[in-house]
Amino acid sequence: MAVDETSRTFVHPLYGWLEKIPGLSVGLTTADAVLSWGLEHSLWVFPMATSCCGIEFMATMTSRFDMDQFGTFTRPTPRQCDVMVVAGTITVKMAPRVKRLWDMMPEPRWCVAMGSCAISGDFYRNLYAVVPGVDTFIPVDVYVPGCPPAPDHVHAGMHVLMEKIRQVRKGTFRPNADPAAREGLLRPSIPRIGDPDRDPALSRAQAEAAFRMDPGCQVTPRSEDERDVP
Amino acid sequence: MVDAHPSHEPVAPALVEVSGLSLPAAITHLPRPDPYLNVEDYEPEADAMALNMGPQHPSTHGVLRLKLFLDGEICFKAVPYVGYLHRGVEKLLENRTAIQSVPYVDKNDYVSPLTGELALVMAYEALLDVEPPPRAQVLRTILMELQRIASHHLWLGTFCLDMGGALGGGSSVFLYNFRERELILDLLEALTGQRMHYNALMVGGNRHDVPPGWEEKVLATMDRVEDRLAEYEAMTVDNHIFRSRTVGVGVLDPLLALEAGAGGANLRASGVDHDLRRDAPYAAYGQVDVRIPVETAGDCYARFLVRIAEMREAIRIVRLLVSGIPEGPIGALKPPRHVNAVKLPPGEVYVGIESPRGELGTYLISDGSPIPVRVKIRPPSLHAVSLLPYLCVGATVSDIVVILGSLDPILGEVDR
Ligand code: SF4
Repeated sequence: MAVDETSRTFVHPLYGWLEKIPGLSVGLTTADAVLSWGLEHSLWVFPMATSCCGIEFMATMTSRFDMDQFGTFTRPTPRQCDVMVVAGTITVKMAPRVKRLWDMMPEPRWCVAMGSCAISGDFYRNLYAVVPGVDTFIPVDVYVPGCPPAPDHVHAGMHVLMEKIRQVRKGTFRPNADPAAREGLLRPSIPRIGDPDRDPALSRAQAEAAFRMDPGCQVTPRSEDERDVP
Repeated sequence: MVDAHPSHEPVAPALVEVSGLSLPAAITHLPRPDPYLNVEDYEPEADAMALNMGPQHPSTHGVLRLKLFLDGEICFKAVPYVGYLHRGVEKLLENRTAIQSVPYVDKNDYVSPLTGELALVMAYEALLDVEPPPRAQVLRTILMELQRIASHHLWLGTFCLDMGGALGGGSSVFLYNFRERELILDLLEALTGQRMHYNALMVGGNRHDVPPGWEEKVLATMDRVEDRLAEYEAMTVDNHIFRSRTVGVGVLDPLLALEAGAGGANLRASGVDHDLRRDAPYAAYGQVDVRIPVETAGDCYARFLVRIAEMREAIRIVRLLVSGIPEGPIGALKPPRHVNAVKLPPGEVYVGIESPRGELGTYLISDGSPIPVRVKIRPPSLHAVSLLPYLCVGATVSDIVVILGSLDPILGEVDR
């Protein structure tokens, strides 16, 4: 059955049965608790590592910092992953590919912006070639500030993400409900688009440029079939 | 055990004179593939296919895109595409003063940030005619060699990781190498407070003086790293599969390497004895006798051997220098009171240093204002990437991963 998930009035076929069968709701909430627990503790990470932060992310996965202990595990293909960690500068040329890889990831999916480049473009953000933050084109769940963030900070970010997943599954998630607790992790450390010394026209131009370019970086559109084939 | 490539044995190889250089005869004047081959004209024996590797590929070390044209599994044309990490560093530096630009060059070659800093800082020093005090020079040399060890550790780890399951699950060597890299990062962190982008140098000297007890820590770490190097050799040199995947793969003609401007271990593995640390000493390299490892086989295995020998040599240099760091100030200039306070004299300079990947150069033109008119960075990795169209032809896809790993390009530096 094809389900249009964008529809706000989406009704799952199981909903009708919930009322008819007594006890089904208890079973389902238990199953849901188990699923949430599993989701939270087996985050498979797709490292969208483009530059320096990618090296630090590699270090996070190795034995000293050992991110595997939280059940996270890197896979080099987006199709098997739950979390995309954007580690590194995203340029205008790279942005369409990041978007395409993000689109390949199955739901439910999460995104962690690691490092100031992924958050806001770092000190390259006024440049013609750099996208000012990855959240201009994909939704970001957790921001981990730093240039590069130390591996412990990445750990903290992953814990915030786990907490968020738990709350989202329970339906209790309120963005920025407790700003004092996670100041700086849930919000970008540098005000990005609303930055007073930033030209708003520039932000718009960069975001638009990132969208206009197709994955072959050709200005003239080509048909889907002949893309990347001689 | 696989029989070693003939030139890995300790017999002197036959040499041939080419324009004043003695090059190993066995690999000089190799036939060269045509990198501009028209794909339509090629008659494939098996199925012809175009394969796009990257820009997001676990073994491209960043965001390199390689378009491979395959005949069955053999590549007959390879086209590298770069620019996925173009951050306009040269343009940004043309709008920054010296003190503002050091953090930018850190991020070029993010595997060895300190060498990038030194190349830029030395260019400004040459322009301003400033000589850093001896303590700063010796400290810089120690930092460069520590950085070289850390960089080669990361290279060895990812190189073996790319080779896949052959080496005890693939990631054993990777995990072991990161263990030692962390020890060196600890030393640098103790000195500068940062794990990666140190911002440790400034025009006229260093920014940070050594903390108490640092020298002893360095010596202890060097002992440990040297011990562990023997472990890696046991895991790689004595490994049948490692040797069969690297020996005789990706043989680089020294003439091609020279024409392409390749440097570092890529050049020295092909029998060209060239190293700026010895040939044009900078910092305190004049005070130590730098021994340059040279191999003559030109293949991936020779490049591996050169890098391992370079790590040993770096450990030796650090040990020599760290016990006799001269006393004195670490900076020749007073910190400027304002970023625009230092005016650059008009003129132009080029300074090249030996980064772990080859000759890293900075070219500055100044017209007398505090900011330079033009900054050009010569990245060694770009020249390594330019070898790929030649080396990949005739190799299988799995060998291309090894060849790419053995050239050790860092894409941040290629695209700048
Ligand atoms: S935030 Fe800093 S370390 Fe991370 S990719 Fe950007 S420049 Fe590199």
